[in-house]
Amino acid sequence: MPAIKDIPDAVFEETITRAVKEVFSTMLSQPARYVPLDHPEPESLELEHPHVVGTVGFIGAINGLIYLYMDVAFAQKCAANLLGISEEELAELGDEAVNDAIGELTNMTVGTFKNQLSDRGFPCRLTIPSILRGSRFRIEPISSATRRIYRFDIAGSGITADLLMQPGE
Amino acid sequence: MRYKILSVDDSKTVRIIIKKAFKNYDCEILEAANVVEGLAIANKEPPDVILLDVTMPVMDGVEMLTKLKSDPNLKAIPVVMLTAEGGKDNVLKIAKIGVRDYIVKPFKEDVLVQKVGRIIDLKPITDAPAKNKSIFDPAKLLVVEDKPAILAQIQDGLKHTPWQVHGVATTGEAIDYCGANAVDLIMISLSLPEDAAFTLFRVLRTSLKTKYTPIFGLVVKTDNAAQQQAQQVGFTGIATKPLDLPDLEAKIARAMNLDTSERYFRVDGDLFVMRLPETCTPSVIAEVGNYLRGKVSDAVDSGIGRAVFDLHEVKRLDMQLIKLLLTAMQTCREVALQYTLVGSGPVVAECRGYEDTRGWQFHETIEEARQSFGKTAAPAA
Repeated sequence: MPAIKDIPDAVFEETITRAVKEVFSTMLSQPARYVPLDHPEPESLELEHPHVVGTVGFIGAINGLIYLYMDVAFAQKCAANLLGISEEELAELGDEAVNDAIGELTNMTVGTFKNQLSDRGFPCRLTIPSILRGSRFRIEPISSATRRIYRFDIAGSGITADLLMQPGE
Repeated sequence: MRYKILSVDDSKTVRIIIKKAFKNYDCEILEAANVVEGLAIANKEPPDVILLDVTMPVMDGVEMLTKLKSDPNLKAIPVVMLTAEGGKDNVLKIAKIGVRDYIVKPFKEDVLVQKVGRIIDLKPITDAPAKNKSIFDPAKLLVVEDKPAILAQIQDGLKHTPWQVHGVATTGEAIDYCGANAVDLIMISLSLPEDAAFTLFRVLRTSLKTKYTPIFGLVVKTDNAAQQQAQQVGFTGIATKPLDLPDLEAKIARAMNLDTSERYFRVDGDLFVMRLPETCTPSVIAEVGNYLRGKVSDAVDSGIGRAVFDLHEVKRLDMQLIKLLLTAMQTCREVALQYTLVGSGPVVAECRGYEDTRGWQFHETIEEARQSFGKTAAPAA
């Protein structure tokens, strides 16, 4: 089994891109476009507006966490679309409905990502999703983790996938 | 029977999506947010299918599946895994415990409905009691035929109807079209290469969208083997080539259960009008005869006291038609409905040649017939 550092960047890029595209087109009928970063490995993500961040981990041959960042307005749009309700109806349901929907979108995205890793010889299992909300926080990995950051454009809104991985079992 | 589908998923979002997916089908969705709740519901009111997530807190879906399969009362319930866990190893491990199907998230709602529809006989919800569609309502017909001349013949022969006839040459195109459209009737050429018609028939019958759609086989009159095979596998009807278009139209109307009575019966002001077409084939006469008593009753019920049998388009009279008219007159007499006839020259002349019809009095127009009611009690009698 190859080590994480031996896996070319292009594989991670292709794997997460396929996952994001598949989830957003299947569940929300929204095509996603990969947007290359000017600086591929930023130290951290600086947030300018209130964000909803979904996170799901995977454990096994590779241990990792993937964070999906999106601003609150886009998260609400995604949640309403996924549930088949209007944004007004969603507002009545409150933040919990948005959190649950973004948690599920993240779960599907990370699931699709890690299923591709499993099929490449890195079997892993998913953990349950959790949600972060706010505008004044940043996630910093421990030094042993490999970090990759990818951005996507979905109908004019940006989402960011932040991948943190380290060798597992 | 209303089927029950149990969704066990810690995500409320997924449970809502499942409810949304099945909202147009006659089934009840039971919800459980975790394995403990799921097992309790399954024991209390056993569902017909369980949709089960894998990754859940406390106890996961694999544990629930294991418990279900070791419980004699629950082990027969079909389980469909609906999960983001899709690595080959995981799928194989779970499949060994015993699942009916495995759907990896993300998923399309129609794929979910399709897969569950293979396990239980899901039926779309209809607004009962629905009024039968009329012969004048639009409908979508699909013709799967690789010979353009036959397709053109069908399209041309049915162009006077409100039906939209769409033609495709291959089974792949047919499946795509049926996936994207609500098709009311499908005609498949039985001479498509490599038994493709029968393969397509099976595929259409496994799809929820076309499970109950009437399907006709188009076949050369002399190909008895293909006709027999089509009847055996369950084709709704057969149309033989060379095509008899009026006959095909009548068969289509019957297969779609269309109300064709408006072709022959209408209310014109204070008159009940039975209009017969130019050519009164035996099937037309049978059709009119089937509707006759009900239509006369409806007219009387709505306060109409006068009837006109409009034969002005009829080209020739025969014994079947005379019998139908005599029955119509008898039916009117039974409910004290006055009646008279409208007819053209040749039919009037033909009537003089028969004992039973010699005394019939005809008017040239409906208006003239209407005026005649003021003068006699039962002008044609």
